[in-house]
Amino acid sequence: MSGPTDRTPNGASGSTERTPNDERRPPRAAAWLLHRALPHGVRGDSILGDLIEEWRARGGTRTASVWFWRHALSLTARYGSRRERRVEPASAGNRSIHMFLDNLRHDIRFALRSYAKAPSFAIAILATLALGIGASTAIFSMVNGIILRPLPFPEPDRLIFANELNPNGIGMSVSWPNFLDWRARVHAFDGLAAGRTNPFTLTGREQARRVDGRGVTSNFFDILGVRPSLGRSFTEADDRIGAEPVALVSDSFWRRELSGDPAAIGQRLILDARAFTVVGILPIGFRYVRDTDVYVAMGPFAGDAMLLDRGNHAGYFALGRLKRGLTIEAAARELEAIENDLGLQYPQTNSGIAVHLERLSSRIVNTVRQTLLVLFGAVGFLLLIACVNVANLLIARGAARQHELAVRAALGGGRLRIASQLLVESSLASAAGGLVGVGVAAALLRTLVAMAPEGTPRLDEVRLDPTALLFAFAAAAACGIIFGAFPAMQASGVSGQHVVVRGRSGGALARSHRLRRGLMVAEVALALVLLTGAGLMIRTVLQLTHVDTGFRADHLLTMQVSFRGERWTDAKRVAFLDEVFARVRALPGVANAAAVLSLPIDGSQWNSVLVAEGQPVPERRELLPSAAMTPVTAGYFETIGMRLVRGRLFTAADGAQSSRVVVINEMLARRIWPGEDPLGKRLKQGWPETPGTWREVVGIVADVKVDGLSELTPLQAYIPFPQSPTSDLAFVVRTDVDPASLQPAVEAAVHALDRDLPVFSVRTMDRVLEASIARERMAVLVLMVFAIVALTLASVGLYGVVAHGVTERTHEIGVRIALGAERRHVLGLVVRQGLSMAVLGTAIGVAGAIALSRWIEGLLFGVTATDPATIVAVVAMLLTVALVACYVPAWRATRVNPTQALRAE
Amino acid sequence: MAAYLGEFEQLLLLAVLRLGSEAFGLDIARELETRAGRSVSRGALYTSLDRLEDKGLVRWRVAPGTPARNGLPRRVYLVTPAGIAALRASRDTLRRMWRGLDHLLRDPTP
Repeated sequence: MSGPTDRTPNGASGSTERTPNDERRPPRAAAWLLHRALPHGVRGDSILGDLIEEWRARGGTRTASVWFWRHALSLTARYGSRRERRVEPASAGNRSIHMFLDNLRHDIRFALRSYAKAPSFAIAILATLALGIGASTAIFSMVNGIILRPLPFPEPDRLIFANELNPNGIGMSVSWPNFLDWRARVHAFDGLAAGRTNPFTLTGREQARRVDGRGVTSNFFDILGVRPSLGRSFTEADDRIGAEPVALVSDSFWRRELSGDPAAIGQRLILDARAFTVVGILPIGFRYVRDTDVYVAMGPFAGDAMLLDRGNHAGYFALGRLKRGLTIEAAARELEAIENDLGLQYPQTNSGIAVHLERLSSRIVNTVRQTLLVLFGAVGFLLLIACVNVANLLIARGAARQHELAVRAALGGGRLRIASQLLVESSLASAAGGLVGVGVAAALLRTLVAMAPEGTPRLDEVRLDPTALLFAFAAAAACGIIFGAFPAMQASGVSGQHVVVRGRSGGALARSHRLRRGLMVAEVALALVLLTGAGLMIRTVLQLTHVDTGFRADHLLTMQVSFRGERWTDAKRVAFLDEVFARVRALPGVANAAAVLSLPIDGSQWNSVLVAEGQPVPERRELLPSAAMTPVTAGYFETIGMRLVRGRLFTAADGAQSSRVVVINEMLARRIWPGEDPLGKRLKQGWPETPGTWREVVGIVADVKVDGLSELTPLQAYIPFPQSPTSDLAFVVRTDVDPASLQPAVEAAVHALDRDLPVFSVRTMDRVLEASIARERMAVLVLMVFAIVALTLASVGLYGVVAHGVTERTHEIGVRIALGAERRHVLGLVVRQGLSMAVLGTAIGVAGAIALSRWIEGLLFGVTATDPATIVAVVAMLLTVALVACYVPAWRATRVNPTQALRAE
Repeated sequence: MAAYLGEFEQLLLLAVLRLGSEAFGLDIARELETRAGRSVSRGALYTSLDRLEDKGLVRWRVAPGTPARNGLPRRVYLVTPAGIAALRASRDTLRRMWRGLDHLLRDPTP
């Protein structure tokens, strides 16, 4: 070692050596800690010096630092509490901080020891908090990701989605000429774009594929505020009739299909047998509503005769960016006025049609919003129950320790010290519960995302939400602190002596009893509301799975095909289908096969007004009936297992050239020809004056569910496919074996005939059905889990309260038994007291469930929100569980040995 | 009558004596580690020294610091006459207790 004063080593040891102080320092935090804990002056300084010297002698390495930390902690532990004794002048404030830290350390150690002594209490409180915090965080994260978080576009609140409503108020797409008029006249928007989903068949590569596409006007991306990451966006010129077809592709499509090569700009993509030039690549992560591979400008479509027909609503929706400072209501008023003018100008097509405006953000999540909000409400209840349970547990514990606390107070324990120690205990429990809760939340969220119905929007934006976690944690912690403080206040309020001499019915004790019983009633009420919700959802799903679909869903394989491009003439499609079905029917395991425009449950693809011959056309044209038009190939009804009510089904003889026929469903028969025989009557698709062919009704079939299980069956008209060949179709194959097993064989049969025809969306009919009620299933599952947890918590709580009551009244019960009370009287006494809480809670809960019923109404099917059967069942279940929870401690009460109980005094 | 000494106190006093005039904290700890095979926490070390000081068995003087210890001062410990007396008393007590038991406790492998 060098001289005592010089801190710089002399040059002899080499120029590379720098001041050791600058080179390496002992762990700063540990040194700080020591500085705080050690006595001031030479005493502390010398100890710190010894430590630093040894640290350096040990090489100042990582290991040395660990060593340093270890001894710093041992010194802090030893000296922290002694410091006051050895103070050379220290400020009073400093001293009290040290005392506080010292006490805190003692409190934590004491709390840990007392939890270890009562592990069941510790586990109960930990599990309650973990479940409450975990479940509420997971659900909130879900709600936040899907509903609350803004869309990833600049100023998303100004993005407005607009569509038209038919005279019955049913939403439909915007007719293209109407959209052009809107855009020309409206002032409320900085820009108005149109777009529609437009799937394409991509050919010209190794295998024909179906790609998700969207046809949009050129200003679509400007309105969203998105610029391509490569190449250019669309320009107005791209929308002109006859413009060269151009496309923008998604970043993932570019990487996947075009090998991420910048030279992809300018390449051609063959979509539906038409060549599109790629002009740009969209930024990574861009998505509008759902993932889309290809966006095309309007050029190739703008001149379509179909599109220019004002009465044709061809799937376009309008998207506008609201001018700054304008409200959506103002924009709606302006568009309504324009729509009215259009109605007067083009009464044939536009009378009775209205507009509907909505923020894009709310439009996107419409389908799931209610489910999520109900779940959110349920989770709030669960969190409340958890908090109530924690409060109850803490109060019970506080009451049980009244004696201990009083003794401590009597021995000179300060009020504040006792209170702070109880607070530390409850905060510790909250912290531990929160920690486990994070794990529960993460696991639950993963499960929920995996279970979410297919097509749930923005699912990939769902993350475990730190704010939510913080919120749930804060709620639980606040609850822990408030109710942790309750016994503390009592302990410090009661004079020590009073409780030491066992004032058995002291005022404080009675107060804590009242509070606990009140909390118990609240908990039972909350649990009942959750149980009712779960019960209603279970009944809904049961009803849905027992709905008569009108066809046989088992052993059915379905798949979509779409004939795109010039080469698929009407005749060629008809011939192709005949050929394909001949082959498919020949496959082993196949019983029958046919095709339909739109599968049942999946929703109709073609709705149209129709006119019945000989019936008056209503004054207001919008009152004309509308039906789901459904072209089917011969054998469809037999394949899917529908029931013929009267007349005949289609046969191979109903060809393109034969007389025009139609098969109607019962709903249509009842609506158009009530009390008459529709067979032989004629109807026509379209408006009265549109040219079209009259079709003769040759058969009536039983209704099938068209728009999902819970919706009413619409009017439906089936047409022989050769007489109205569409380009999109679904195959249905009835099998004798597991339908999924036939998928490769059927696809092979299709591709043997045409390599370039994409087959997609292959599903068994059972899966179609299941997917249609996935939302309800998810609600059931979550609510059921919640309800079970709530029931468990409530019954455990009830058990705790009653058992605690029995323990406290051991003396009294002993006296009763000694004086000759029969055991069954004792039993009745205890059970009655417990049940009275359950009954009161149940009554409040039923009232609450009825009051809240309208919130869940929209999710229900086949059962009302105040369904008496459900409520009775739930009440019965809750009271049964409550009875068991009360009976066990009551039975124990009857075992009280009177002599022992009395001697305990 | 000298104060009663615990085992650790005896070891500490002996270590200070062995180190002569160079007994500061770091060396005392090393002496205990090498000679007595005791790894000792610094918290226990210094609080025990404080206790011995309170009993008047050790005292210390300040020595200037070195760069290796950031210039912080050292405390060099000395055993007071009372400390010596206490050690002697402890040793005598032990001796009395040992007397006559050597044959029982003889190391089996000399």
